[in-house]
Amino acid sequence: MTALTVDAQLTALLEIQDMRAKVRELREDSGVGRLVEADHFGIDPEVAADTLEVRIAELVAELALPIRRRYERIAGHVHRVVVPVIGGICYGCFVSVPTATAGEMDPNAELQSCEHCGRFLYFLP
Amino acid sequence: MRLRDLFTADVVKLDLQSEAKDDLLKELVALLGLDEKSEAILFKTLKRRENLGSTGIGRGIAIPHCRSLVVNRLRLAYGRKPSGVDFNAIDGAPVHNFFLIVAPPLEVSNQYLPVLGKIAQFAKDSEVPERLLDLDTAEQFLELLDRKAP
Repeated sequence: MTALTVDAQLTALLEIQDMRAKVRELREDSGVGRLVEADHFGIDPEVAADTLEVRIAELVAELALPIRRRYERIAGHVHRVVVPVIGGICYGCFVSVPTATAGEMDPNAELQSCEHCGRFLYFLP
Repeated sequence: MRLRDLFTADVVKLDLQSEAKDDLLKELVALLGLDEKSEAILFKTLKRRENLGSTGIGRGIAIPHCRSLVVNRLRLAYGRKPSGVDFNAIDGAPVHNFFLIVAPPLEVSNQYLPVLGKIAQFAKDSEVPERLLDLDTAEQFLELLDRKAP
């Protein structure tokens, strides 16, 4: 399998994170999200969550080895492996991201991690 | 929480141009004014949700929705395609009205699911599909929300 480009790695991580959020919502017993999907949209939450988990595993396998290892290490103990940076704050640990990192022309052009908590970062305007 | 307060005229488009489901999702996403990379991610996440089962709930209405890291607050948009688009809706009929709902994974106000439920309820009002097709302006859409989803 061909490893993804740097830009595609971030895209894949974001996709993975969005899917993980959906899986949590679907698996949450008596959760509103699970009920809404079942009642209004006729989705079987367990089948949907299983489908997403297969796709998550496929995307994780496509990550470059060092990134995959780091992903797996972080995913082993926190729900959110990729977190937004808003106003210079990492929304994983709520610590300021160094200005040099946050201030780049396009901080999302490279894959960056929080120096404090290690999570992958996605910079929002 | 009133639905009316969550929409503004600039996220309402009464003349969607797309003829296919994917293009239509992209056109809806474009209403949110995100950067190119974020739009692409959001489209993929919405598409992945559609692959689990269409968000076309019948009677010409679809509610594409997802949580995504690329937004930092709850975002909504409404689009209308009077001639309809095949959206694999639950009743097999073309969809004319699209309510897009996107929320960040963590949301302090926790409005995403209540809003999703409220729009689904709004859509079930027997008069709503016809009223939506009668709209001439974005302001009329906002007034309809005021009347039917106070």
